[in-house]
Amino acid sequence: MAYRNAMEALGDRTRRAIFEQLRSGPRAVGEIADELPVSRPAVSQHLRVLKEAGLVTERRNGTRRIYRLDPDGLGELRDYFDDFWSEALAAFKVMAEDERRDA
Amino acid sequence: MSTQATETEAIRRSVTVDCSVEHAFETFTERIHEWWPLGRHSIDHYETGTPAETVVFQGGAGGQVYERTKAGEELKWADVVAYDPPHRFVLAWNPSREQDGPPTEIEVTFTDEAGKTRVDLEHRGWEALGAEAAEARQSYNEGWESVLAGFAENAST
Repeated sequence: MAYRNAMEALGDRTRRAIFEQLRSGPRAVGEIADELPVSRPAVSQHLRVLKEAGLVTERRNGTRRIYRLDPDGLGELRDYFDDFWSEALAAFKVMAEDERRDA
Repeated sequence: MSTQATETEAIRRSVTVDCSVEHAFETFTERIHEWWPLGRHSIDHYETGTPAETVVFQGGAGGQVYERTKAGEELKWADVVAYDPPHRFVLAWNPSREQDGPPTEIEVTFTDEAGKTRVDLEHRGWEALGAEAAEARQSYNEGWESVLAGFAENAST
């Protein structure tokens, strides 16, 4: 599922830092790199992963590439929990019925 | 079903457990650390790839649900906005390090059904995220304006 890819993409601290920067608005690669202790090519590589996970989109502006968060990524959060709750409640049921201390 | 409705419709799940209402409520809250899949859902897991140490459900007024990471940090998942043991609780759910997005809401009720307990979970308020997306789009709009203004300035010199 796409949301799981997104979570894996955000499992990396640098990518998470980039993602958080983009929450405040679109930025060019150089602007992102200026605020991080990593090289510009490394930032580009991280942006590629975020893009493949559906978290950011890219637009060219002359020779610059501008990155922004992908607003369509939000629906995936609901889809994720839709799936998650089935699994969580199954685990809850097992535990609730395990001891039956006062059943 | 339109895409929009699917994206904001509340998630509803029910499960019937073979135990008393009191025991079901206590398992869901005080004993949440015994069953919550931390390897599937915890901030520590997202960030480091290993599950958080534990999760704590602190009931009562002003209570919180939070995880304790392997590094010993406490990261909030939710504020308890209603707590009526053993029948119901409501959480303002926002499991994130920054706590800057709007919360969604989770309501869980526990109902006796012939000695067993029906647990109904509703996870709602997805439209708030839609509102955030609208705000975010607005800030992107403003961002683009300044980018384009800078571009125009450069282009015309």
